[in-house]
Amino acid sequence: MITEAAALDVRDLTVAYGESKVLFGVNLEVRRQEVVACVGRNGAGKTTLLKSIAGFVKPTAGSIAASGENLVGRASYDVAKMGIKYVPQDKKVFSDLTVRENLELGSYATRDYNWDRVTTYFPKLRVLMDRKAGYLSGGERQMLMIGRAILGSPKVLLVDEPTEGLAPSIVSQLKDVFRELARNTALVIVEQNLPLVCEIANRVYAINEGRTVAELSDPESIKPETCEKYL
Amino acid sequence: MKDTLRWWAGLLAAFSVLLVMRFFLPLPFVNEVLLFSIYTIGCNFLLGRVGYISFGQPAYLAVGAYATAFYLYYFGTNPLIGIGWGVIAGVVVAFVVGPLFVRLRSDYFALVNLALTVIIFFLMQKVLVEYTKGDNGLWILTRMTSTPLIDISSANGFFVFAFLVAFLVWAFYKYLDDSVFGACCLATKTNEVKLKFLGYDDFKIRLLAFVIANTTTALAGSMYAVHVGIVSPEIASAARAADPVVVTILGGVGTLYGPIVGAIAYTGMKDLISKAIGNWELVIGFLLVFIMLAGEKGIWGTLEPRLARLFRRDRGEIARDEAAAKVGL
Repeated sequence: MITEAAALDVRDLTVAYGESKVLFGVNLEVRRQEVVACVGRNGAGKTTLLKSIAGFVKPTAGSIAASGENLVGRASYDVAKMGIKYVPQDKKVFSDLTVRENLELGSYATRDYNWDRVTTYFPKLRVLMDRKAGYLSGGERQMLMIGRAILGSPKVLLVDEPTEGLAPSIVSQLKDVFRELARNTALVIVEQNLPLVCEIANRVYAINEGRTVAELSDPESIKPETCEKYL
Repeated sequence: MKDTLRWWAGLLAAFSVLLVMRFFLPLPFVNEVLLFSIYTIGCNFLLGRVGYISFGQPAYLAVGAYATAFYLYYFGTNPLIGIGWGVIAGVVVAFVVGPLFVRLRSDYFALVNLALTVIIFFLMQKVLVEYTKGDNGLWILTRMTSTPLIDISSANGFFVFAFLVAFLVWAFYKYLDDSVFGACCLATKTNEVKLKFLGYDDFKIRLLAFVIANTTTALAGSMYAVHVGIVSPEIASAARAADPVVVTILGGVGTLYGPIVGAIAYTGMKDLISKAIGNWELVIGFLLVFIMLAGEKGIWGTLEPRLARLFRRDRGEIARDEAAAKVGL
């Protein structure tokens, strides 16, 4: 049932790449100020789920709604304009642009020129403003991508494997940032780092072979050993 | 105030050099450099900012040149109005073909533009021969009347006019380079899909870049028509399709002043070598291969960082950058 408070509501989502079906009737609900994590093995369809929500993959069936507004059939840039921001897994920034220019792109699109929140979450970006993004480390790129995405205070932030390949200190920093972000933004995080997931998520969806196989919402059940069963 | 001065300083320095050239080099050479520079900057913007290599620049050059020539041959005598028509024709053609062409990437974009060049060439040489006079061309030199303030029908007046137009064109492209639109263009070159994540329609950005670049090329074509006084299908020859690309690479792809430096080097080499040797294209070909192998960033692309270190930045800035490099890498 779609609740009034649902920032994002995905119902019976089916997605196929040509003849090959990837998602089979997936359901997912994210309320405001909630952190929802999707866990599952590689190839389970987690990234496809995020791409479908962000408008990069067209579903063959099902519905996607953000605050009651239908997202299916909208261009990906329209979805972004509606405040549904996607931070992809590959950490590819605009390498020819400086950190400042990357942030300016985010600012111009959202008309939000206040970078205080970005530099408070990621102080390191302050000294890197004039550095070409192509010369940043993996962690710095992730900071830049998340920093750029949170400009304009998005309603929903979709983050794909944010801690993959990052040093423990940066993972810890991102954990704090996600907690802070969740005060204003609904977060959907695809992540294999189960201790992190269990620390920050209010709800966990386990996805296997394109199907939602479990929904954990009881804090007692959101534990690494429980989630591990689905990996 | 300091930032404004710094913004204009590079432009003023570059154009001061061009102004000095006027007093030491033959006027036709300097005029050719100015025209070639304006011709090339659109190609440079497409290649350096958007990642499009275009072998179709002669088509847009011809559109501007023929629109101006048609006006001056059939309708009026004021070359400034003729140039205005050339620019309008450039905008119209770019808006007509742009939505089709900018859907393509890299090699297909290059080829479809080359195909347009061939189409324009045959249109002007064969299909519209009644109006274009075919290979004989449209002679407009004696049909132009003097223009007030600057008489652009004279070589000296044309230099002043071309110099001012080039200055305005460069100021405009510098503004574009520094703008969010310029950053969007670079972002489409790096990863157009990722630009959509931020809420930008990358198609519109590429289309606008295409229209701006090719309107500039049409402007160069219309100025060329007024300067030379004859327009023939040769202007849209596919054999010359690589010229602006070569000058762009020679000067330094994506650099603001690369087209000027490239145009000076290319026109200079062509003039000097053609005076000494019959088969000058062969020698220039080898020279270009050597120059590009020696410095893949092109002449200005190689010089610019060194000059920036020498003139534009104080020690404090360099120290801050080095400190940032240590923190980050």
